[in-house]
Amino acid sequence: MQEMLANPAVQGGLAPFVAALVVAALLTPFRLGGLAVVAAFATAVYFIAGFTFSPLTATRKIILLGFAAPLAGIVIDFALRPTRFEAGMLALAGAAAAAWIFWPVLAQMDLERGLLLGGTAVLATAWTIGFSHSRLAEDGVRAGAAGLALGAGTGAAAILGASLTYGLYGFAVAAGSGAFLLVQMIIGRKTHAGATFMLAATVVTMLLAAATMILAQLPWYAVLALAFVPVAASLPLRAGAPIWLQAVLLSFLGLVVAGIACALAWQAGG
Amino acid sequence: MSNKFAAGLIAAALPLTAAAAPESFTVDPYHSFPYFEAVHLGTSVIRGHFEKISGKLVLDTAARSGAIELAVPTATLTTGDNDKGSRPRSRDEHLRSPDFFNVAEFPAMSYKGKATKFNGDAPATVEGELTLLGVSKPVTLTVERWKCGPDPRTQGKRYFCGGNATGAFNRSDFGMKFIVGPVSDEVKLWMSLEAFRD
Repeated sequence: MQEMLANPAVQGGLAPFVAALVVAALLTPFRLGGLAVVAAFATAVYFIAGFTFSPLTATRKIILLGFAAPLAGIVIDFALRPTRFEAGMLALAGAAAAAWIFWPVLAQMDLERGLLLGGTAVLATAWTIGFSHSRLAEDGVRAGAAGLALGAGTGAAAILGASLTYGLYGFAVAAGSGAFLLVQMIIGRKTHAGATFMLAATVVTMLLAAATMILAQLPWYAVLALAFVPVAASLPLRAGAPIWLQAVLLSFLGLVVAGIACALAWQAGG
Repeated sequence: MSNKFAAGLIAAALPLTAAAAPESFTVDPYHSFPYFEAVHLGTSVIRGHFEKISGKLVLDTAARSGAIELAVPTATLTTGDNDKGSRPRSRDEHLRSPDFFNVAEFPAMSYKGKATKFNGDAPATVEGELTLLGVSKPVTLTVERWKCGPDPRTQGKRYFCGGNATGAFNRSDFGMKFIVGPVSDEVKLWMSLEAFRD
């Protein structure tokens, strides 16, 4: 049993998926099925690094924000009306989070490299959070597909960029999003994603991608490519298509963009 | 007491005074290297080392005391595998990533210790703190083959000390928890150290 739980495929895939499926199945009736993604992420963190937050490294800051994002999402979903202003404010908060996490490392780099990597991290995080919140959060299938592709893309790109830990965290988000999508495919209707789901999925994945770029070896343009995954998940589909088909098609479109990011990462290491 | 006799006494005492005073040394970066080793998949031992080190030693053999401060730039690590070939990354690249040494965020590690046991004039045990990934934990080093004397390469113009130090720590104590098990938690240290008197 201990050996099985030490297997990276279990830590970053199977265990997060099971945890997310349970959460999505139990909490969907209460419009909280989006917590599936943080359940998956927390499961991976438990197995891989544990809940230690001192010293507060960049990775631990990402974990903290990954836990805080769905809590903020619940407040937003239940207390506020979705507006463009709200999406803009969330994008700004994402940019500030990226700056808070990476500033200590960027400050040690030469100016040109620091500006390039820091600018990419801030812009990609802000754009992904803002766009996803304004265009995908109200549609459970589109949100789930974006989370699945962002998680899988970040996971694979992180492994290519020399960090298996970030890779497993990314795959955990993909597993959580997959569980969230699966519940919708089984019941045959869209469920509520909202900021509870979308904020957690985008904050964790984009900050992990930025961390792989700044602390490991992911090229900056691969991070920018990942930021276009939500655009793919927002493309129009034939009206009236069954939920399972929408989920498959939108996930496929997102994964194509994620695949481009991974190809860029692979090429950069060659 | 005549002035000549007093001056003679002082002159005779000077070398003793000098020998008893604490002496400061600077680490010779060309003959000092920290090596590390960990067990891979429960079978083979993978060894690596850091290519750069700097530091200071203070030694007072008469008082049987000593102190050491070392700083190691973590990005200089190598295990001999730095060509990724057809893999996503080489082992050295992976060791520099946040999975292990996280060199971008923690570009240096350090050791600060005091000699607590002597074997004659030679320090035998150093007790101190290793700071790695922003975490400081006690690590004890055992010193072997310690020797001080005139440096034969400079016909004795320079005075130097040198020896080897060994120790061990659990990497998970420092937050380096990635695949503990397949790669051993215990990391053994082996350090060659030479230093010139300032």
